[in-house]
Amino acid sequence: MLAIEAKNLRRTYTSRTGFLRPRRTETEAVRGITFEVACGELFGLLGPNGAGKTTTIKMLNTLLLPTSGTARVLGHDVASDPVAVRRRIGYVFGGDRGLYDRLSALDNLRYFAELYGVEPRDQKRRIGELLDLVGLAGREKERVEGYSRGMRQRLHIARGLLHRPDVLFLDEPSIGVDPVAARDLRRTVADLRAGGTTVLLTTHYMAEADELCDRIAVIAGGTIRALGTPDRLKSRVQERGILEIEAYGAGEEHLERIRGVSGVHGAAAEERGSRQAVIVQTERGADLHGQVLAALDGVRVGRVVTREPTLEDAYIAIVEEADALAPTDVPGPTDAPASTDASGSTEVAA
Amino acid sequence: MPTRTPHTDSGSAPGPYRRTVSALRLVVVGGALSYRALFNWTTPPMFIGTLLVGPLLQLLFFVFLGRQLHVADDRFYLLGNAVVSASTACVYGGTMAVANERRYGTLGAVLLSPRNRAPLWFGRAIPYVLNGLVISVFTLSAACLLLGLRIPVEALPGLGAVLLAAAAGCSAFGLALGALGLRFRDVFLVSNVASSVLLLLTGANVPRETLPAWMRALGDVLPLTHAADAARQLSAGGGLDGRGIVAELLTGAGYALLAVVLLALFERGSRRRATLDVM
Amino acid sequence: MTLVRAVRLIGVGVRTHVSYMSRSPLEITFAVLVPLVYATLAVYLFRAADDPDRLLTAAVGAGLMGIWSSVLFGSGGAVQNQRWLGTLETLVASPTPLSLVLLPITLATAVIGTYAMGATVLWGAVLFDVPLDFAHPLLFLAAVPVCVLSLGMMGLLLAATFVLLRNANALANPLDAPVWLLSGMLVPVTVLPDWTRPVSWALPTTWGSRAVHAATSGGAGAGEVLVPMGVALGLGALYALLAVLVLGRVERRARAAATLALA
Repeated sequence: MLAIEAKNLRRTYTSRTGFLRPRRTETEAVRGITFEVACGELFGLLGPNGAGKTTTIKMLNTLLLPTSGTARVLGHDVASDPVAVRRRIGYVFGGDRGLYDRLSALDNLRYFAELYGVEPRDQKRRIGELLDLVGLAGREKERVEGYSRGMRQRLHIARGLLHRPDVLFLDEPSIGVDPVAARDLRRTVADLRAGGTTVLLTTHYMAEADELCDRIAVIAGGTIRALGTPDRLKSRVQERGILEIEAYGAGEEHLERIRGVSGVHGAAAEERGSRQAVIVQTERGADLHGQVLAALDGVRVGRVVTREPTLEDAYIAIVEEADALAPTDVPGPTDAPASTDASGSTEVAA
Repeated sequence: MPTRTPHTDSGSAPGPYRRTVSALRLVVVGGALSYRALFNWTTPPMFIGTLLVGPLLQLLFFVFLGRQLHVADDRFYLLGNAVVSASTACVYGGTMAVANERRYGTLGAVLLSPRNRAPLWFGRAIPYVLNGLVISVFTLSAACLLLGLRIPVEALPGLGAVLLAAAAGCSAFGLALGALGLRFRDVFLVSNVASSVLLLLTGANVPRETLPAWMRALGDVLPLTHAADAARQLSAGGGLDGRGIVAELLTGAGYALLAVVLLALFERGSRRRATLDVM
Repeated sequence: MTLVRAVRLIGVGVRTHVSYMSRSPLEITFAVLVPLVYATLAVYLFRAADDPDRLLTAAVGAGLMGIWSSVLFGSGGAVQNQRWLGTLETLVASPTPLSLVLLPITLATAVIGTYAMGATVLWGAVLFDVPLDFAHPLLFLAAVPVCVLSLGMMGLLLAATFVLLRNANALANPLDAPVWLLSGMLVPVTVLPDWTRPVSWALPTTWGSRAVHAATSGGAGAGEVLVPMGVALGLGALYALLAVLVLGRVERRARAAATLALA
């Protein structure tokens, strides 16, 4: 049996504005997503903000009804049989909300253990195990308001695992967590997977996805743009080389000029403090140094390096392709007539 | 005004006229925008429910309480509560006008503004004065209709002036409470208690002569007390007692002054103690 | 879910939420200081009315008003509060029915209301020398929890209605005083127009405060405490049952309209 099975999932948000003369606007957040996750697999959902990741997760964990399409978790339909699904899933989201701050970690866990139907005689042992697992043992009697963000995140994970879920949904668990805590978190997730738990993970951190995920789906504009193992995604940009140039003050017009150079597949600029990193995807083996630097004429330029493509480059290439196609590539009859923004998608904040 | 006023709409070397216009703009435009941004009850259902229906029902509660206990007549409760009805909008409004900046995390940005503080903060109070006046007038009219109380027509202009003075004094009081929001976290706790204390001490619901002396003295320096007295006299056909309205205005001015001092004090203190971003 | 598990769940839930609310200075102020102001007001009014025998009634009445306010604001805002805390999604995603998740919260708000009762009675005794001569002290101690329980169940319906009807929370502030009045918490309902009588009868608060007042002031037999207690419980249970029906709809609609996370 499959752990997660999504078939052509769609989700539209309707928002009303105005009191006396209400106006309805419809926004398509997810536009037909199909994928399967096998039991024991660690599956990653990647995508820019507003791509539809959180919406997809919330349809799968029964918090949102799909507008159309179906989804099953461990064979149970998420729309018609939510309680059966809820018994077997855990849901953990990032950020520091969602806990009772003025209570201790222990009280938080006791309460949720009751709600998630953990047998009373198992509760004490289970809570103890989890406190050990997430490294909060010894501090469980302190109030959560004194916890750091990393500790809160670990408590969230303990909470999500109380009832030994078979499928765990992790929605950007590493958001705002420092590098050391993020490393611990990755280890915990990897251990869970090793223990047989199916995990669906969304994240913005490519290294995290590369390290952890068996397979990855890249979502942009509400549809899946690429799906496969991290290596397969990387192979999409395998025939390319990456030219990374340190620059100060390169604007869109410079990037446009670079994109015009023959042999260049794409160019993007990232702000890194006071400087920028201009990342140019080129044909593999082509020596375009001179032409690219000429396109940056007038911009102060620092170090220039050539490197192998990473998962991040693959991701950027996929998302940029999607941007170039959007919004005209959306098929189907529900082509968001009253869409509020160009990409026609929003993401519900957790 | 400081001589250097970067990024204001008044240009590089503002003359007295442009400075006045600029300050007026801050009062009117800034006040109106901050009302919309910071007041929690601007949606029509909330406005009607909390600010119009709520005070009216509270008035009825006290009228029936009074009828049962035979302490005072309908007129006493009706006028007293009509004056006090402005307090929800004014006290909470004044508090929200300052304290909600902290809730939205915008307080730092506001305090970085180079503009003069007096028009900045008082501009915020003006919408609540008007709001309070509207509520008082509504409560009074609705209650008179429901309970069949007649008010002499010639008393109406005076009554309007009294209600305006009450709303203004109460907004200044609210602003002074809001100033505490620059320093303390749970300032709504203070305004919540303050607005119930107004019910007791202003004599809106308990004849003040039955209260102990210290409570009467406290009532004297609270907003609404003098306005409630003046309003009762007017509605009974007693004519406008100028002293009542002056006393109310003086109390209001006192709170306005207190608000300015507290705002300046806490603004300076917040830089020293780093209490701005404490949520 | 077995009955034993449900009772245990409610117990743990009430304990959790009562201790959570008790640790907030804001909640405690709402629950204690404001009722004290009302108690003072009531005592002075009753004194002015030359009704000194009924000062204890005034203090108890102010306490009842405090319980209702706590239930009204706490239960009415129960869902909204969990949403602000960010815990609503976790609660809904649990395999427990939503009504069993919310009932402990609304019961907790009623329990918090008893702080008001304790405070106003104590305040009356210490500051105004109100003699604590309860007619039926034991029945009083039984009537208050029963009143709390029935109001907590009524709170569940409030919680459900305030989520089901958009903008219903605008009712929270204005519903304070009329229920005080209609339930006869401070003064008997006899002063009110006759057409309000059926409304009063339909409110568990009416029966709860009738029981509490009968236990407080003399001249009433035990039956005049116990019967209203029974009616209060019955009405409360009825309200809770209605709430369960409403909540089924609420949850389905929230999943369809995506209103769980959004404010």
